[in-house]
Amino acid sequence: MMKVLVIEDNVELLRDIKSFLEEEGNICEIASNYRSANDKIGYFPYDILVVDITLPDGNGLDIIKAIKKENIDMGIIIISAKNAVGDKIHGLEIGADDYLTKPFYLAELNARIKSLFRRKAYHGSREILFNEIKIKPDSLEVFVDDHLLNLTKKEFDIIHFFVVNRHRLLTKEAIAEHLWGDDIEMVDSYKFIYTHLANLRKKIAQLGGNDYIQSIYSVGYKFTDRE
Amino acid sequence: MNLVRKTNTYYLYFLLFLFPIMVAADYYVIKYSVNYEVNDVLLHESERIRYALKENGNLPNSNYVYETKSIPEDYSSQNQFGDTLVFEGYANELIPYRTYQFTVAYGSQKMKISLRHVLLEMNELILWLFATTTFVLLMLAAGLFLINQRIYRWAWKPFFHNLSQLKDYHIASKQPVLLKPSNINEFKQLYAVISALMDQVKKDFQTLKEFNENISHEIQTPLAIIRNKMVLLLESENLDENEMQWVQAVYQEVNKLSKISKSLTLISRIENQEFTRLDIVDISTIVNNIISNMEEIIRFKNLELRIKLDQVKIKCDLILANILFTNLIKNAVQHNHEGGYITMLLNEEKFEIINTGEVSKIEPSQLFHRFQRGDAVTDSLGLGLAINQKICELYGFRLQYDQHGDTHTFSLFF
Repeated sequence: MMKVLVIEDNVELLRDIKSFLEEEGNICEIASNYRSANDKIGYFPYDILVVDITLPDGNGLDIIKAIKKENIDMGIIIISAKNAVGDKIHGLEIGADDYLTKPFYLAELNARIKSLFRRKAYHGSREILFNEIKIKPDSLEVFVDDHLLNLTKKEFDIIHFFVVNRHRLLTKEAIAEHLWGDDIEMVDSYKFIYTHLANLRKKIAQLGGNDYIQSIYSVGYKFTDRE
Repeated sequence: MNLVRKTNTYYLYFLLFLFPIMVAADYYVIKYSVNYEVNDVLLHESERIRYALKENGNLPNSNYVYETKSIPEDYSSQNQFGDTLVFEGYANELIPYRTYQFTVAYGSQKMKISLRHVLLEMNELILWLFATTTFVLLMLAAGLFLINQRIYRWAWKPFFHNLSQLKDYHIASKQPVLLKPSNINEFKQLYAVISALMDQVKKDFQTLKEFNENISHEIQTPLAIIRNKMVLLLESENLDENEMQWVQAVYQEVNKLSKISKSLTLISRIENQEFTRLDIVDISTIVNNIISNMEEIIRFKNLELRIKLDQVKIKCDLILANILFTNLIKNAVQHNHEGGYITMLLNEEKFEIINTGEVSKIEPSQLFHRFQRGDAVTDSLGLGLAINQKICELYGFRLQYDQHGDTHTFSLFF
């Protein structure tokens, strides 16, 4: 179980993030301003800190600096509405581990948090399991009943994203942004997602795996073994 | 034409205008005073003669008398000055003389005496006047020119210093412009006005910047929330088919809105020159990364890639370089047809990307405008090329579009 502190000044967004992360089985604390964030960090050891740079009563970067100064071991993800390489580099320089530009998909945040936690807590050695499917994120390998799946890079990205966000609706937009980044606003990218998924299904079926990919109307997909 | 040249030209015009007036004025003034002087001499002589005749009864020796004539008593004649020309054999020419005729009583008779005095030669006088006036005026012109040059160089020095400072002025830079003070009132006023103007512009710019930042921050967060709630709605089991479609439509439009807002914010941030980083960007690496990111799309569309990239490095913001080349390559992939090709060529001079595709109906010059789409079928925002255009303006690159039948060429000149 992972303990996450989310610092964000918009209470509604905060609530969304909290309920999403709690549904994933994490403990999620929230702080909507600089002062209460500082208080909470002092009390409780969190695994992951998700912090917005622009806060009503202070700067998120100062929180990161304070944490680094006191040598608290905590994975840090910056969420910011500013998409500027300067901010990003500065944030990473003072010790943040990742940087996510607003608006982001909760599934994307979830994937980032999980892979950061995996890197921190298990030094990246942990495998991700889903029934007969096993993912080794470091070697970019996927096994079905211990048989290695031969995947392209994007196919790996998709199945990784799916398994990390299991049982969740992943919209095509969220998948496209995860695969190609948000600069590529491609018209026919959804067609390509479909093609990727078709190939992926075929490859898993060849090794005797189950088809967990459910199509949800025309909005997106769900990777689940529930009905 | 610079200021000193302009001033000097006006001085020159003035002196050219002054020159004949001065010559004429000198001529008449000198002529008048010479005449006056000569008249004095002749009058004096006439009085002397008159006196001598009265006292001694005979004509005194005089070099000026050239004619004496007895005249009848009843003959009355005015004393008068005159000018005449006399042929002098020695010079073989006519020489001007000033004459004075007067009558005098000589015993019982009356006598008319004519005096004359040689005059300066007027031709020569004019020549000399011309020469001296020219000389004086030339000296004057030279003096004015030198003084002007001096003034230009010294008095205007702070002006030019400040001008070069202002040329380098960058609204986004945090460094204040240091204007050199001057003791000339006009310059002082100018600098005061410029300083006030710069402060105002800076303040406005700051407000605009904050506005943009707020827009991007304040709009994106609600959009993110709407989007999250939409996903929750989509996950809900209780919606019927119709409701599901509505929610889906809203979800897609929200995404579009978010992208538009992001792109417009990006454009205004480029316009505001907020991207001041100068990374050394290896273009071939960037292009290769983008291609590998889209590798599978390219394969799905069965596009043939012909690539020849030299190692070229340019100085610009890394994010902008990524956006620029992503937009170009994305365009070439997106507007291509199945089984088409893309040619990319990179060298020191330019990056050229050629792709097959539909014949575009849009004027090439319209293509770079915001919300202009090459084909109405696709759902793209049409902001990519407008963004590219802004990036090119920022770095002085030139982006050119050509169409030959079904091949489209974008050339980016560094």
